[in-house]
Amino acid sequence: MLIEFFAGLLLVYAGMVALCLGLKRHFKSVWQREPSVTWCRTFRVCGWLLLALGFAACIASWGWAQGPVGWMGQVSLAGLALVLLMPYRPRLATLLPLLGLPFLLSALLLA
Amino acid sequence: MKPSRSFSWATVSRIIAALFGGYLYTYAFTAAIAQMLPLEPRDALVVATLPAFVIYPLTILWAFACPRPRMVWASAGLALPLLLIGFWPQFLRAVA
Amino acid sequence: MKPSSLTQSMSWLHTWGGLIFGWLLFAIFLTGTLAVFDKEIDVWMQPEAPVSHVDQAQAAEHAISYLQRHHGAESAWDISLPTARSPVLSVSTGERRRNAPRQYLDPNTGEPIDIRETAGGRFFFLFHFTLHMPRNIGIWLVGLAAVGMLVALFSSLIIHKKFFKEFFTFRPNKGQRSWLDAHNATGVLVLPFHLMITYTGLVIFSLIYMPAAVDALFDGDREAAFGPGQPAKTEQQAAQGARNGRSQNEGRGEGSGELVALTPLQPLLLQAEQALGEVRSVSISHPGRSDARIEMRPVLGNRIELSKGLSMTFAGVSGEVLKMPEQSRWAQLTQRVLSGLHFAQFGGYPMRWLYFICGMASCAMIATGLVLFTVKRRRRPEAEGPIAAQLYHLAERLNISVIAGLSIACAAYLWGNRLLPAELSQRGAWEVRVFFACWALSLLHACCRERTQAWREQLVCAAALCVCMPLLSLATMTRPWAEPIRAYLELSTVACGALFAFAAWRIGQKKPAPAPRRQSRNVSQELLNAD
Repeated sequence: MLIEFFAGLLLVYAGMVALCLGLKRHFKSVWQREPSVTWCRTFRVCGWLLLALGFAACIASWGWAQGPVGWMGQVSLAGLALVLLMPYRPRLATLLPLLGLPFLLSALLLA
Repeated sequence: MKPSRSFSWATVSRIIAALFGGYLYTYAFTAAIAQMLPLEPRDALVVATLPAFVIYPLTILWAFACPRPRMVWASAGLALPLLLIGFWPQFLRAVA
Repeated sequence: MKPSSLTQSMSWLHTWGGLIFGWLLFAIFLTGTLAVFDKEIDVWMQPEAPVSHVDQAQAAEHAISYLQRHHGAESAWDISLPTARSPVLSVSTGERRRNAPRQYLDPNTGEPIDIRETAGGRFFFLFHFTLHMPRNIGIWLVGLAAVGMLVALFSSLIIHKKFFKEFFTFRPNKGQRSWLDAHNATGVLVLPFHLMITYTGLVIFSLIYMPAAVDALFDGDREAAFGPGQPAKTEQQAAQGARNGRSQNEGRGEGSGELVALTPLQPLLLQAEQALGEVRSVSISHPGRSDARIEMRPVLGNRIELSKGLSMTFAGVSGEVLKMPEQSRWAQLTQRVLSGLHFAQFGGYPMRWLYFICGMASCAMIATGLVLFTVKRRRRPEAEGPIAAQLYHLAERLNISVIAGLSIACAAYLWGNRLLPAELSQRGAWEVRVFFACWALSLLHACCRERTQAWREQLVCAAALCVCMPLLSLATMTRPWAEPIRAYLELSTVACGALFAFAAWRIGQKKPAPAPRRQSRNVSQELLNAD
């Protein structure tokens, strides 16, 4: 249950990062240039995809009744964490999911 | 938002209309729905009461959004026909 | 009010409604958030409770043998079994009442032990919806505040135009703008939670707040409207502070003078667990007689639906099932699921932590809103006349004592549990007095000190109380962390303390010009409120 929980958290956070970078203002703060329309759209699509995957992880963790509730909580708090981190460390905030991935994979392999 | 402009009689009227008129309206609306729902009383009870906590805040918002204070009180007056619908068995018993 | 646009009128409503109810709402949300871990706080506040090394069936058998030895002639026994969140075994006898005296037992041996009386985590739970006020006054006030919260949330949706554009926007170190950003961020990102928790809170007491349907359909007779085990009814009983005792007075005509042995509990516990989930308590009526009955009640938490009042009954001697737990009708099920969403007893510790942090985010939203109100008016406090200036001065003081002061009071409440003598009578009431005394002191302090100093000093006080809690435990207990729950609670408290300390430090940073000083304070406040 815990592994799916953390997987969900990682996926949902990554989704929020993607949605955030789909907005011009935040793309600029990370990469210091204007994003093209394609980039924005790609990021947004990826963002929703990752959120959907996170939803599946939450269902796996809690079941169909409690899963959606947990998912909403994770989305909200992941978004809040991102918003607080972005102004101080935009690169770190964006790359955090990649940093968390090896931990999650090793946990999956060990389980 | 200067307090001197905010706290006029019109504002007080809206506040009273919002808190008390809004509650009365919500009460009447809930009773009317409860009476009219084609469900078992125990089920109608729940189904009618649950929306009340969305309706009451909306009436409060309406009391302040409405362009003219008089319109607010007129809307609150809609509670009366709703009360009739909600309590028609009790009214019939009282009249009979 | 002159005719104004929708945005203007909603903005006015949001500001003044938010201010008037904001202080109350902060108190409700902070204590409610702490109440998520009420059972864990109970465990921390009863440090004499031994660690349980046995399973529930063995603990139950120990309890029964104790009851047979000492209370064999009673008409009813009630056993509270140790559970995952609450590893305490206790028994009481006679008619089931809310405040019946309970005897604590060591679950490993069945011997009676002395555990200090405490108001426990339950105090936060009760305060959260009654505000420690008599009878139903508190409940109505909380309900009004909840409606105020919904009004603030709905109006915010109308006035916040750049909802999606500024979804992720937070610009620290920019003074008033930063406070607004923080208020928007905690508001928008956690909006589903705010809406859900406020609405479901109202649903729990829906029939007290909106009795229209009961009046219309049942002529106001709430009892007629309900079957057994309805959560609304149970909550009303909780609110009135008394529970109707089960009628144990079926008369002693039945049964002979011979003692008939009770069936072993373990298989019954297994059956009950399958039907109800983890079992919380067992009631045995007419033990030792042939018509003995065993009733088992579940821990709340294996499903969203609030399962208060649910139970399963067995015959005491033969062990056959007499009554299965009831299935709710669809309408009642809806109401109970909504109530359950508020009670947050489901989903294990991951879910509980999500609720806790979301609750803290709600507190942050309210706090940043309250501070934003005063920050906006700090530039030119005399601009709107002397009365307004006095009111804003009062608002500043109330902010300090509600936001920082209440935090101090909560921490002091825990300190009081350890420092008050264990044998003190009415200990629970004294612990509560410590809470209110500290809160009152913080208001006094806030009124006497200059604003920045007051904020800094109170935050430092809160930080100190939180961070030093492990030291307190070491000083007052021999083996304070034998039970892991207590260690986790203290760890969390230390983390909160670190955030308070950081906030106090940021406020304390001296900058030359007024504008930058406000910025550093803003960031620290923002961080404080993000804990």
